[in-house]
Amino acid sequence: MSQSIPALEFSKVSVVYGDKTSFEVRALDGINVKFPESSVTGIIGHTGSGKSTLAMLTNGLLKPTEGQVLLFGEDIWSKKHSMKEIRSRVGLVFQYPEYQLFDETVEADIAFGPKNIGLDPEEINKRVMTAADFCGLSEKELKRSPFELSGGQKRRAAIAGVLAMQPKVLVLDEPAAGLDPKGREEILGGLDEYRRAYGATLLLISHSMEDIAKYTDRILALKNGKVCLQGTLDEVFAKAELMFDAKLDVPQITKLFIELKKRSICASTDVYTVERAKQMVETVIREAKNA
Amino acid sequence: MLKDITFGQYYPGDSILHRADARIKIIILIEYMIIALAARSLLAVAVSVAFTVFLVVASKIKPGLLLKSVKPLIFVLIFTAAINLFFTAGEGDPVVHWNFINIYREGIVNALLMAVRLLSLVLGSSVLLSFTTTPLDLTDAIESLLSPLKKLKVPVHEFAMMMSIALKFIPTLIEETNKIISAQKARCADFDSGNIFRRVKALIPVLIPLFVSAVKRAEELADAMECRCYHGGEGRTRLKELKSRPGDYVFLLCATAITAGVILLNSITTQEVFDFCKTLFS
Amino acid sequence: MAFIELRDLWFSYSPESEPVIKNINLDIEKGSYTAILGHNGCGKSTLAKLACGIIPPGKGKVFVDGIDTADESRAFDVRKKCGMVFQNPDNQLVASIVEEDVAFAPENLGLPRKEIRKRVDEALATVDMSAYAKHATNKLSGGQKQRVAIAGMLAMGPECIVFDEATAMLDPAGRKEIAEAMKRLNSEIGMTVITITHYMSEAVEAGRVIVMNDGEIAADGTPEEIFSQVEKLRSISLAVPQVTELMYELERDGYGFPRGILHAMDAADAIESAVREARR
Repeated sequence: MSQSIPALEFSKVSVVYGDKTSFEVRALDGINVKFPESSVTGIIGHTGSGKSTLAMLTNGLLKPTEGQVLLFGEDIWSKKHSMKEIRSRVGLVFQYPEYQLFDETVEADIAFGPKNIGLDPEEINKRVMTAADFCGLSEKELKRSPFELSGGQKRRAAIAGVLAMQPKVLVLDEPAAGLDPKGREEILGGLDEYRRAYGATLLLISHSMEDIAKYTDRILALKNGKVCLQGTLDEVFAKAELMFDAKLDVPQITKLFIELKKRSICASTDVYTVERAKQMVETVIREAKNA
Repeated sequence: MLKDITFGQYYPGDSILHRADARIKIIILIEYMIIALAARSLLAVAVSVAFTVFLVVASKIKPGLLLKSVKPLIFVLIFTAAINLFFTAGEGDPVVHWNFINIYREGIVNALLMAVRLLSLVLGSSVLLSFTTTPLDLTDAIESLLSPLKKLKVPVHEFAMMMSIALKFIPTLIEETNKIISAQKARCADFDSGNIFRRVKALIPVLIPLFVSAVKRAEELADAMECRCYHGGEGRTRLKELKSRPGDYVFLLCATAITAGVILLNSITTQEVFDFCKTLFS
Repeated sequence: MAFIELRDLWFSYSPESEPVIKNINLDIEKGSYTAILGHNGCGKSTLAKLACGIIPPGKGKVFVDGIDTADESRAFDVRKKCGMVFQNPDNQLVASIVEEDVAFAPENLGLPRKEIRKRVDEALATVDMSAYAKHATNKLSGGQKQRVAIAGMLAMGPECIVFDEATAMLDPAGRKEIAEAMKRLNSEIGMTVITITHYMSEAVEAGRVIVMNDGEIAADGTPEEIFSQVEKLRSISLAVPQVTELMYELERDGYGFPRGILHAMDAADAIESAVREARR
């Protein structure tokens, strides 16, 4: 599996803003990352760490100053594929995507992407329906104006607008920001379903470590434009103290286990879900009894 | 693209121009425009250029920033200069003659003059007002200068408040426009091909969201302003009263003198200056 | 008399539509720190706007420091007493320079220049933004913008500030800045603070938590009391902090943990003592 071509790969990618002036800023600095096919990678880091720049590189909205962005092994800037094609294969959902809604009905708005690709009406219609389904939008809501929807529905309509292009790689910048727990679950759950159905690869930028722990299987942590940690959830959380020291957020439950390790009650810190935590505490208490 | 626009952007600083009374700066700007546009004779132009250089130096604004503000206008600059260069017919023989192109001495002079004028206008108004005056000071000054109109029931305060808010939101709206363009590009929108009609049509998915969000912003801002007890201009006091100091009047006096000087100098030809110098020294 | 009193309060945005606030009775004491929790669309923001008189009640009464908010002749007095910080940092700053923005409210009140200066300086110092007095507002981070918005309210001299999801659009660092500012306002200068949020971590810091659901008050109590009702919160689609959930699950399986544990440290203490107990 590790030998197969990754869905998306960054090879020595750097992005420099304001080149040749005194204001030179290295937003990304020699990034090497592979995103395996149908994996979900959580991307974390502080504001200004380069997360948004990374997102803009994935579908060619931004050109790397140095290095290559490879989509299934092919440089997206090689001219072999049109930008339109690249963008239909790499879906990018920006933060607060509801501002992109513009058409008269939700249905027409979701169809905007597929129409731009040049699909035939029948296929467009099919895709709109499927996308709406993944995002939990009803038939009734599809006929309404996007501006009449509630905040959560608007967000789902905007995400459906990107899913309707049926991208193989999906990059989302804080798709659940500002929503309540139920709204978060609906959106992130729907995205996970989409991934399973299409074998899509997901890149999920999020500040919520709880969501990262729940919905991703890999983590990429950025700091000042460089990769500071990467690997599977278990690999990264095994080094949870490092994350803590690097001033990255960790889930509250991991904080508890870092504390328990300090008190030499439990040795592992790769605990990030409540279920796992429950098992661990039960084991610890059982072992204490038997001792 | 849009990020190159520096219009209405204040750069904090502590130069003479930053400290000068905004009302005086507006009056001086009007005089400055007269100077730049009226200067015709060599001496007058020299004085006007010297005045511009003085303003630029006095503003202590980094040259890089100034260049950025001029950059979007380079095309206009070249275009007007070219028109003047090729289409000014002069007396005597053309300096350059090639096929149907005739360039006269007057053409070269006109082209240079136009370029200098435009350049000074942009630089002068940038350093005199937008770069060195906060939008709030600017609108306060306009409100104060127009206050006699209040007696005629012209809503001067409301006009000034609207203008200052509009200026404050320019950077926000530019940023927002870029964001929307990126989001629609990510949905394979094409802004760069097709004929004019198609390109204009392609902008609809950008303009509608921009409009919707501007309306939303306006509503929220109105709420926030009301929360902070805003109730129009009546009984409002100011943290910063516009105050003119003696220095401001000296500045104004100098500018007025220069304006008068330039107009006078216009009627004096270079030859006359030479002659005058000769008689002075002989 | 409580500082804010809501009496038999009803509200709907239009006569035809379903009421957003249904028969609410609530007292907010002076100097208290209250969090109002609820999912999107439960009416919590509407409640906040009613409580500080931005919108008049549909039916029932709202009193701010004894003043009826429906009395338009006293609207000004209500606003002066009760300030509000909104969600979007970009849409509530009026001026492009920090100190000019903070001066906006006292200017509207027609205060003398010296007093405005004093209030602006004090307000900026309270939110730790004095160094940015002359900076452009649009170059600040989200957290800094919200702190300027808070200073803008403080300069008005209110007795109560309502934060209407003021942290929702911020990153974790900004959220922390504002949460800390709220706490300090309450503990250091005795400001009455009401925060509308769906972040549990913020509600935990308050002295009192009110849970709203469908325009009604679903629960009202200390954070410990509220968060020990895990099932109830789940039923109205709210989540509890992970640690609270863990301890709740363990307790339900027969481990003798106390309910309503909110912080990782407290949970660590409880587990440590349980392990010691088991060893004996």
